[in-house]
Amino acid sequence: MRTRPRPTAPHQAKVSRVLRPGPSGADGYRRGVTTTEAHREHAHGTRAAGGRLLVAGVGAIVVIALARIGTATLPAGILPDRLQDFVTLTVSVVVESMPFVVLGILLSIVVQVWLPAGFFAAWLPRNPMARRAVVSLLGVLLPVCECGNVPLARGLVAKGFSVSDSMTFLIAAPIVNPITIVTTYQAFGWSDGILVSRIVGGFLVANLLGWLYSKHRDQDALLTTAFARECRMPAGSHDGHSHSRVGSSAGLFRREMTTMLPALLVGAAVAGGVQTLVPRSVLLTLGSNPVWSILAMMALAFVISICSNVDAFFVLPFASTFLPGSIVAFLVFGPIVDIKMLTLLRTTYRPAVLAQIGVVVGLVAAVLGLVVNQIA
Amino acid sequence: MRSRRNWPGLALTLVIGTATLWLAATGQLVLYIHPRYVVFTVVMTLCGMGLALVALARSGDSDEQDEHAAADGGGAGAADLPRSRRPSPVALGAALVVTLVAVALVVLPPAVLSSATASTRGLGAAVTTTGSVRTDGATTKYTVLDWASKLRASTDIGSYENESVDVTGFVSPSPDDPDDTFYVTRFVITCCAVDAQPVGVPVYAPAWKDSLEANQWVRIQGAFATNPSAASSATIALVPRAVSKIDQPHDPYLY
Repeated sequence: MRTRPRPTAPHQAKVSRVLRPGPSGADGYRRGVTTTEAHREHAHGTRAAGGRLLVAGVGAIVVIALARIGTATLPAGILPDRLQDFVTLTVSVVVESMPFVVLGILLSIVVQVWLPAGFFAAWLPRNPMARRAVVSLLGVLLPVCECGNVPLARGLVAKGFSVSDSMTFLIAAPIVNPITIVTTYQAFGWSDGILVSRIVGGFLVANLLGWLYSKHRDQDALLTTAFARECRMPAGSHDGHSHSRVGSSAGLFRREMTTMLPALLVGAAVAGGVQTLVPRSVLLTLGSNPVWSILAMMALAFVISICSNVDAFFVLPFASTFLPGSIVAFLVFGPIVDIKMLTLLRTTYRPAVLAQIGVVVGLVAAVLGLVVNQIA
Repeated sequence: MRSRRNWPGLALTLVIGTATLWLAATGQLVLYIHPRYVVFTVVMTLCGMGLALVALARSGDSDEQDEHAAADGGGAGAADLPRSRRPSPVALGAALVVTLVAVALVVLPPAVLSSATASTRGLGAAVTTTGSVRTDGATTKYTVLDWASKLRASTDIGSYENESVDVTGFVSPSPDDPDDTFYVTRFVITCCAVDAQPVGVPVYAPAWKDSLEANQWVRIQGAFATNPSAASSATIALVPRAVSKIDQPHDPYLY
């Protein structure tokens, strides 16, 4: 897989020499060869290299599959119970989240590469407040849940959204989207205003955060240096002169997967580890206290890192012992702030921003929970 | 050069994708996620792997733009090497975790959650089920979940007379009377194993450890009675007529 084209000066360019395995760690890559002939040679070389990489990829799949089939007969129980459960939980988070990450990156590619340049500017309101309100409803059209919204929000920033606008989408999308609304309705119906509180809460906290960060003078300072640098690339270079849209999409997929998947795996391992070590029963004894129940459910949401599309079903059984306000706090806090989300968000935002998001969302969710507890 | 720096994403896509498809093909994906997500998961996995192969085939095309787009180390989660020659300890640790998880996906045999997790998740605690007790008469088909719900709703032994119980589950030691009582246990999941919640029916079987081990899957036939155990907090327990060891079912969770 490490075979790669090595651009050479035009007079050296023979196909047989263009293809050379890359010496690991070597950094002698030169670019900027501009003659037409070199381009042609280069293109020829990359096509051949691409073919080889494709074969290597298929070969890798075969090797992985054989390894998987070969190890399937290992006896169960080679690991101690707790370690095995840690592995099971971690794998479960990965397997559950992976489809949504792929979906989010697909939509991000559509937004960045395939939509015309001024697509969003054409119809979004100019007034910042109104624009953020509309942006926070985009999740209705792009139901990406909570793992897919990170790559999609990255795509929106790269497409020219301000960081604060994209943050409004990022926070609102997991809650204000049709799948989440339907599953929450299926779980709770209209009882105790849980559904309405959740939607309103998600909408409000997203617009609040968007407004707060729109006051920030240097929007790029909110982003990690790597992502800010990527966004500063001139728009043209995303689908530069010599690149097809397919090529750009492929490059984007490669970059986004390389950013998101390691974060997902680390988040899954941490979430699995915490769940293995912290007895959940500790949280469940706090159910009937108006204040503690809210904090306990927020802690549970943080630890469990469950997808917002289905968290309503998960929390439904708790409704018999926990006050409705604590259920609302769970449903508003969990989709935005949990272990897995924080590691995914860390790919894009600075740690201080994550802490601020956590505090603001936590406060809003807790206040909302208290209000619901008072009314219900 | 970028195409080398960006290979982990594609490699991980192929690793996770292949492992997921293998789980689906062997019917073991349900050990990790609810059956209703199996189709979606398989479709998106195929999309992801297809795109990864396209990205590999076209990787020459995007070298130039990749060179601009430094994606070097987004932070804790980024396993790709930062620009400096010496990666930070955090990046190294992240890379190690990522590698271990990827290896675990491919090498370790798939497993269902064990009784250790059942106990840390409050087996027998007040909160477990949706409370939707089945009301139809066919108690012979009641699962562990149905009986556990009913036991929560009613502890009047009179309502369990003449009920014949036939349930399957795995053995979890009772927290308060581990010697003479165990719970025949299942996990209930709504989305994936992460949210699994244990439900169990207490079984009064003195010295059960002589013939059974924790995590052993069993089929138990018997009837309910006032729990003879003084130590156990469960007022009603299943008194088995027959306990037979069985293999783990293909579909170990309840929904």
